[in-house]
Amino acid sequence: MSDVENAHVEIMTPDDMVDDAVKKRLGIGFWIAVGWLGVLVATVAFAPFLPFGDPDKLAAGPPRTGPSLDNWFGTDALGRDVFARTVYGARVSLVVGFIAIAFGMVVGGTLGMVAGYFRGRVDQVISFMFFTLLSFPGLILALLITSTFDRTLRTVSLTLGVLAVAPVGRLARAATLVFAEREFVQAARVIGAKHFRIMTRELLPVVLIPMAALALLGMGVAIVAEGGLAFLQLSVEDISWGVIINDGRGIRDLQENPHVALMPIGVMFLTILALNFAGDRVREYFDVRETAF
Amino acid sequence: MKQFILRRIAQLVLVFFAVTFLTFASLNLVGDPLFNIVGVISGIPDEQCEAVARGEIEDTKSSGLNMGDCALIAQAKEQNNLDKNVVERYGIWLSDMAGGDFGTSFVNGDEISDIVQERLPVTVRLIVLAQIVALGIAIPWGVASAYRANRTFDKASTVGSFGLLSIPNFALGVILLYFFTLRWQIFPSRYENAGWWSELKALTLPAFTLGLGLAATYQRLLRTDLITTLQDDFIHMARAKGMSDRHIMYRHALRPSMFSVITVFGVNTGALIGGALVVEQIFSIPGVGTELVEAVLRNDPPVVIALISVVAIGFVLINFVVDLTYGYLDPRVRTS
Repeated sequence: MSDVENAHVEIMTPDDMVDDAVKKRLGIGFWIAVGWLGVLVATVAFAPFLPFGDPDKLAAGPPRTGPSLDNWFGTDALGRDVFARTVYGARVSLVVGFIAIAFGMVVGGTLGMVAGYFRGRVDQVISFMFFTLLSFPGLILALLITSTFDRTLRTVSLTLGVLAVAPVGRLARAATLVFAEREFVQAARVIGAKHFRIMTRELLPVVLIPMAALALLGMGVAIVAEGGLAFLQLSVEDISWGVIINDGRGIRDLQENPHVALMPIGVMFLTILALNFAGDRVREYFDVRETAF
Repeated sequence: MKQFILRRIAQLVLVFFAVTFLTFASLNLVGDPLFNIVGVISGIPDEQCEAVARGEIEDTKSSGLNMGDCALIAQAKEQNNLDKNVVERYGIWLSDMAGGDFGTSFVNGDEISDIVQERLPVTVRLIVLAQIVALGIAIPWGVASAYRANRTFDKASTVGSFGLLSIPNFALGVILLYFFTLRWQIFPSRYENAGWWSELKALTLPAFTLGLGLAATYQRLLRTDLITTLQDDFIHMARAKGMSDRHIMYRHALRPSMFSVITVFGVNTGALIGGALVVEQIFSIPGVGTELVEAVLRNDPPVVIALISVVAIGFVLINFVVDLTYGYLDPRVRTS
């Protein structure tokens, strides 16, 4: 999470971006990553209509068998189809990742922009809030919230969303600080535009670009964090990737049928890799530099 | 410098109160702490107990109460200051904490300071070991990449570190456990603490689980900084004097290139603490993480509050020290 949390921005002007965009390409790797994410989202969205079977059906095949034509990822100790479980687990993982980062973008982005735009007292208060949030080790804060409330999909998603607030907010603040000084914002101010209008019409479009890159990386972080919570038995009561991997990691399971844990790990790894890669490419493409500072 | 330290101390104190109060309040406001201590009889309405106190009804089974339930409730409230409001209780708890008295568990009555003393060192050793693994790998790796930047090895390293950063640490833990413990049986599957050697063996895999991803982070930063440093004049000077490349890399270039690594060191400790909780589960290590999860599952707020506070305070302190070190190393930070 470290490189995301310490976002420090140097941003090119929109004109530079246009010049550069002509020269640069997102590259084949980016499209492969996006393709994988697209296939995954489509599979997850249409899972009930596809012939993957029921993830909770017992004895969908002989228990503890390796990958075969009938059960692509094999079966677990109860004979449940690991492939079906991975597909349905992806639903929860992706939804959690998406809601978390969306929440972080809306709340953190708004706070960060307000802080960067108005500065002074407002900035001090909001920055201190971010600082306090970052003073908790991430997972500890998540643990605090999920153990205080319940473990529904909504709570877990919003908890991870709270974690995303500070990193996203800091980035939004830094970007706003940079852009608020620029000519196009001052021009808007001179012709008498209201604060709200300047922030939504002038600043938001440019601040959104570095945030988009962070969103892709952050979604990966949120999916991993959900998995971590699952290992602490504090995630959703439904199946998610974390829950499935946690189910298959017992010594006996791992010894006799390692595919139960390793197959979902593989899918999860590819997904995080795709998110990281796509995020990295977007960041390079728009030349948003996030050095750890 | 003095002003810088003072400002950071003020910030530290504020964050300390914010963090501890947030933890304390959230676990005290939600749910009924009284229920956790005395169980179902916490549902007895206050008026009924007041009536008992006035002697209007008797504290017996006939009135739907068991003998002495009201007395039990009163005692529990008294002991845990449940009658007072959250802020007052927070004050009492904080001053107790400062005096080393962490209170007792609601569930089994264990002294929490004993739990902390028993569990904390294990987790600290794991985290330190993970940092050693991370730096031990990242420094030679970063130097090797920067030495011939953009050549084959460097490009392969970029792919490798990208891959490492994309493996969640619990997934890496499961993979390492599968290969090194179950298939090749190199490391023990159980945590044992019969002397430092057995503990080191038990902590090696968890430390690598935590350290490998971190090594990739450090390697990326070190490589970038080294490439910049290597263009400096004093490196050309050293080269002109005919020093060996190894000497230049490790003796001249390395130290001024460590800034980024030092900065993220503190923040990464936070990620490490979170990671340690999870990894402790996988390798069944009796550290703070396993205890914390047990305490959450058995619904034991005092233990949870104490452990979270200890960890959060530790984290805040580490970052404080890192900030000071950084301010000491780089004069520009002090004035900003």
